Amino acid sequence: MKLLTNWRILLLVIALLLAFGIIFVNTGHDENGYLGNTNVKLGLDFEGGTLLQIELQKEVEVDELTRIASIISQRIDPSGLRDFTVTPVGKQFIIIQVSETDAVELEKIESRIRQQGKFEANLNGETVFTGDEIKKVLRGDNSFGVYQAGPGAYEWSLPFVLNEQATISFTEKTFHQCSATSFTPEGKPIYDCEKTIFFLDKPNALIVIDEDQYYEDSEAIFVGDTLLNIPQQSDIEEIIQDSQLNFIVYDGNLDPTILAGALLKTQQAIVSPGIGNDVILALQEKGFEVTKYPKNDAPWTWDVLNAQQIISLTEGITNEDVADISQAKQFSNLRISGRRESADIAFSELDELAILLESGSLPTPVKSISKETISPSLGESFKSIVIMMAIIAFIVVGIVITIRYRNFKLAIPIFIIGGSEVLLNLGFIVLTQRPLDLAAFAGLIAAIGTGVDSEIVITDEIMAKSKKIKESLLSRAKAALFIIMTSAFTMIAVMLPITMFARSYPGIDKLYGFAIVAIVGALIGVFITRPAFTKILEKIAEGIEKKEDKEK
Amino acid sequence: MDDFFGQRYKKYMIIPIILLIPMLFLILVFPGITPGIDLTGGNVIIIRSAIELDKEQITSVLTESFDLVDLKVSTIASPTGYGAWIEYSKDPLTSQAEELLDKASASLDNDTESIAFSNELIVLLGGEAKEFSNAKLALLDAQDALLLYKEEFYLKLQNALSEKLALGQNVEFQRKEISPTIGGASFQGIIQISIIGFILIAIVVFVAFRQLVPSAAIIQAMIFDIIAGLAGMALLNIPLSLTTMPALLLLVGYSVDTDIMLTSRVLKEKSGTAGERATTSMKTGLTMTGTTIAALTAMLIISYFYQIEIIYHISAILLFGLVGDVIATWFMNAPILLWFKEGRK
Repeated sequence: MKLLTNWRILLLVIALLLAFGIIFVNTGHDENGYLGNTNVKLGLDFEGGTLLQIELQKEVEVDELTRIASIISQRIDPSGLRDFTVTPVGKQFIIIQVSETDAVELEKIESRIRQQGKFEANLNGETVFTGDEIKKVLRGDNSFGVYQAGPGAYEWSLPFVLNEQATISFTEKTFHQCSATSFTPEGKPIYDCEKTIFFLDKPNALIVIDEDQYYEDSEAIFVGDTLLNIPQQSDIEEIIQDSQLNFIVYDGNLDPTILAGALLKTQQAIVSPGIGNDVILALQEKGFEVTKYPKNDAPWTWDVLNAQQIISLTEGITNEDVADISQAKQFSNLRISGRRESADIAFSELDELAILLESGSLPTPVKSISKETISPSLGESFKSIVIMMAIIAFIVVGIVITIRYRNFKLAIPIFIIGGSEVLLNLGFIVLTQRPLDLAAFAGLIAAIGTGVDSEIVITDEIMAKSKKIKESLLSRAKAALFIIMTSAFTMIAVMLPITMFARSYPGIDKLYGFAIVAIVGALIGVFITRPAFTKILEKIAEGIEKKEDKEK
Repeated sequence: MDDFFGQRYKKYMIIPIILLIPMLFLILVFPGITPGIDLTGGNVIIIRSAIELDKEQITSVLTESFDLVDLKVSTIASPTGYGAWIEYSKDPLTSQAEELLDKASASLDNDTESIAFSNELIVLLGGEAKEFSNAKLALLDAQDALLLYKEEFYLKLQNALSEKLALGQNVEFQRKEISPTIGGASFQGIIQISIIGFILIAIVVFVAFRQLVPSAAIIQAMIFDIIAGLAGMALLNIPLSLTTMPALLLLVGYSVDTDIMLTSRVLKEKSGTAGERATTSMKTGLTMTGTTIAALTAMLIISYFYQIEIIYHISAILLFGLVGDVIATWFMNAPILLWFKEGRK
């Protein structure tokens, strides 16, 4: 018990208690994907899943790559339900890990990654043009950019070109969509124009919203939100109409005609969080696959439909000056513009919209996708084998040490400290929310391996020599400390470059877990476990020496 | 034995020098080190089955029905089941299609030209040329066609293997596909990491001991260990890959422990003669390496039988490297230190 008053031992005990809490205290996650009843999250190797490595056509700036990565995340999982990570690497790579292993689903994901986001501009419940019909955003054009329109007013302008078919249909659908509501003092008409609503990857599903949510959304959309590009006095009904989806505001009844109509188009149904289980059950009975979409910051309706922008038409393109559509002028070059209070905001809005129209294609196309799949059952068997391997390795090490020292009493501290290091390293892995995969496991082995090495050095330094010379315990411990410090730093030196380059080259990121666990393991050893080990050994040595003195 | 080194220590140095010759032969001449598909790009299919897999049979099934470039097949039998490792770089049609895809996406600004390339690809893979309103759409269709072709090709391959080898239901396929550019970029990264890692470790050693000869002696041991690890890779036909390069680095991190301990004791401590100190160090060092070798042997055997490739590769390399380390540390590093110590007297 006296040992506990030593700060080194105390530090170890506190660290162990913390690690124990981090690993074992249940945080309420579901059981899938974790190691037994612990909080240790399992990686791809043990859980099964697929690693996709995307290579872009050319190198791009870091900002651009991050942007592409976020577009891709959106596409893989518009509703935020899948378990996946998307990491930009270097200048032209994006690495994705998904838990999916089914070949068909993977093909869908792959094609969605490469694909144009499905962009559509809708008006009066009809599609005016789609992303496919945009030939090009004229980024090089003079009219592309932001200019100051007055004090505190910055106008952005985005020119783009429609293809032939879309030009014709655009002219038809926008014809006379503005109406003069009043006149200027000079007698010129002032027009009020219809609005187009832009959608990107609109879901193909029946939407069911509870009344409370509907009214909340309706108000929020009327008030407007500049961050979300919702202008003031927008109308929720107009958005719903333009979405062209079957939409039910649930007031206690599910309109059977709407359900029947929806079933002709889709079997998917998305419901708001306020929709009860009875309604979901009723929908499932009708044959729908129901997804509950969470409420995020944006109005639920806006969010679930993936609405992006509301853009008003201008009288310049709606051919108000001619009476008949046959005389209408056709515009293939269109321009969207808006005004913001600062140049920065205007630029970012322009940028956002340009990407929207282009994605369409990703700003830089995908050149190739490499992939690696590990099936869940394979991962499962890996898991048990690796655990078995760790236990056997531990026992083997124990045997070697016992044989070498012919003293079980000396093997026990090595065992305890080895076990502590496993626990502390796992604690670190959980704390940083990293998954335990084969690479991290190898890092763990490296850390424990050097740990055992160091403990042998300490044991020999303190024990073996105690017989020969009467150096003070302190100086012996100091000699041991120099050796273990130096060897810990060599381990850190050799692993550090991996952590430095993990985000620069594809493939290296897989090794990040390996390197970081090895480094942290070395640090834990030098600062927590090995000082405590030295203290324990000093006590044992003192005991032995006293005994020897007595015998003399 | 109080002094293993005595006056004969200089003779010990012959052993590592002689061993270098066969090791370098293994690495540089035959069988040599091959880079893995992680670093060159290519396809790997791993089969795990309850039924015995025959290398010749797999090879003949694949060569009969498919035109695969650089096909390599290896099999393994263990008490837990059978495994096969099939590697090929590409089938020629895919390469051709990928070239067309590159051309199509490079010429996106020119609608007609780009659409023509995309259509050529679609036709090449057995589809029909279409009218496209713009190049982007054509490119997407072409990419989809290639994706579909690859999927189908792989499925055909998998089915052919399942059927002709009569593998039944109890079989597990694992698949890995790496593009050549990604492989190349990984290669570049791993080389950079290794060089920097090696420089950093040398700096740590020099800072710790602040003497040229002892530090250089440690570094020669590191190099010898890497050579031993590489020789093991050549011998066991383990490719240079994203798993094995870090294993070599890890080897350096591991093996240098004994050298540091030895140097520290011989140079800094005062008890007994230098030779005696080196001898006690050797006892400690052999225990250190011994525990690691014991643990690695256990891991090596288990991972071999259960076919966990990553662990198998790492433990094999470490094992060879650490055996090399025993030689490099006690037959080279220790004698150099003793010589150095003697010269300074």
